[in-house]
Amino acid sequence: MNDLERRYLRLLHAYPADYRRARGAEIVGTYLDLADPDRRWPSPADAADLLRGGLRQRLRAAGVTDLIPGVRLAALLALVTASVLAGVWSVAELHPPPVEWGVPHLGPFVSLGVVAWAAWLLTAAVIAVAPIRVARWAITLALLLTLALPPMAVALDAPRPPLFVLLPQVVLGLLGLALPDRPSRAIRLAPLLSVLLALAAAEFLLGLDHIDCYCGPTSAFLPTAGGLLLVVGALLATGLAIGGDARGGWALVTLLTPAGFLAVPALAGGTGWIYNAVTFTQLAGSAVAVALAGPAVLLLAILVRARRNPTTRHPGQPCPTCGTRA
Amino acid sequence: MDTPLREPTFLILTALATGPMHGYGLIGEVAALSGNRVSLRPGTLYGALDRLVDAGLVEVDGEEVVDGRLRRYYRLSPGGEATLSAETERLRRNVEAATSRLSARTRAARPITPRTAGGLA
Repeated sequence: MNDLERRYLRLLHAYPADYRRARGAEIVGTYLDLADPDRRWPSPADAADLLRGGLRQRLRAAGVTDLIPGVRLAALLALVTASVLAGVWSVAELHPPPVEWGVPHLGPFVSLGVVAWAAWLLTAAVIAVAPIRVARWAITLALLLTLALPPMAVALDAPRPPLFVLLPQVVLGLLGLALPDRPSRAIRLAPLLSVLLALAAAEFLLGLDHIDCYCGPTSAFLPTAGGLLLVVGALLATGLAIGGDARGGWALVTLLTPAGFLAVPALAGGTGWIYNAVTFTQLAGSAVAVALAGPAVLLLAILVRARRNPTTRHPGQPCPTCGTRA
Repeated sequence: MDTPLREPTFLILTALATGPMHGYGLIGEVAALSGNRVSLRPGTLYGALDRLVDAGLVEVDGEEVVDGRLRRYYRLSPGGEATLSAETERLRRNVEAATSRLSARTRAARPITPRTAGGLA
């Protein structure tokens, strides 16, 4: 056994043990057949493929095969939400408070946030026209820029959007990376159309001239956006469930986490102008609670579903694919 | 299994239509059939094969060890053959409809060249 085979076998631990015993040699053999003779390490793409395949097999063994399609559906809704927020915040960035208020701002913009929001707007355009691999790189870049804003603000001594605005954007973007590999044209266009609608609505309907950007009533719409996201998810879940499709249910459970992050200011006890009165500790405490509760609910739903659909093979039972007994 | 079939599924069934094939061979055949547009990796391929076996479209044909590596062969089941035939027929009808409409469009768009009537000469 050479180093490459040993490393593939190590990655194979992503699969359930009985599946690994039944199919491991065949899967690793195929990777080795495909590998260049002088390769010593699995390529990152092979590693990702094995981890994805292992996760898919574990979900299949638990009878939760519709979880991944559900997460992909949630990814689309998350990207649309992230695009809408980026559109609204972009317009808000163009309306700095009057000079006489003495609020620090960045030239014609409110804060450094304009850099991240521009990246998200560009991402929506890239998703519409580029291959999905390029679109994922664009999402990653927008995510990195959003994450970089706090240290950049410190380094440049410039204002930035509050963390309760940046954090849900990051969570929505992370979920957006799970976009389907071959999205339809409608899916590709959804974030861009959402951006255009958000830009128009924010500029002409909200009247941002009289709003102190992030900390005024404008930001009260974050929890509202989270609520709307869940309402849309629930409607979608109901509609799909009528046709016997459980994807919507999984999408809804997946969306609990980003919706929770959008609601962090409200969960911390603040609404509208009172955001200023909410302490960092309250916000951080709410964010940690959401970060733990959201994934926990998803995990619980998977466990409940697995118990109701026990399709896991027992030792001694033949593998349905290859007939091998574990 | 849901129809219409997704492209990788259609290509896997098409590759198996010629006879039993192992995973490595299937990856190469799918790439060739799609003009290198669809490139399956083993983790994805075996996940797809599991689903196709569960759906009764593919069966395990046998296995052998080559150079110390296990190779399992898969074949199209009668159900898989029927599904592939139905899907091919559906695609063929779509292609025929599109071809005929495109031809009609091309004919309609052809410029009308004025002809001089011979009687005027």
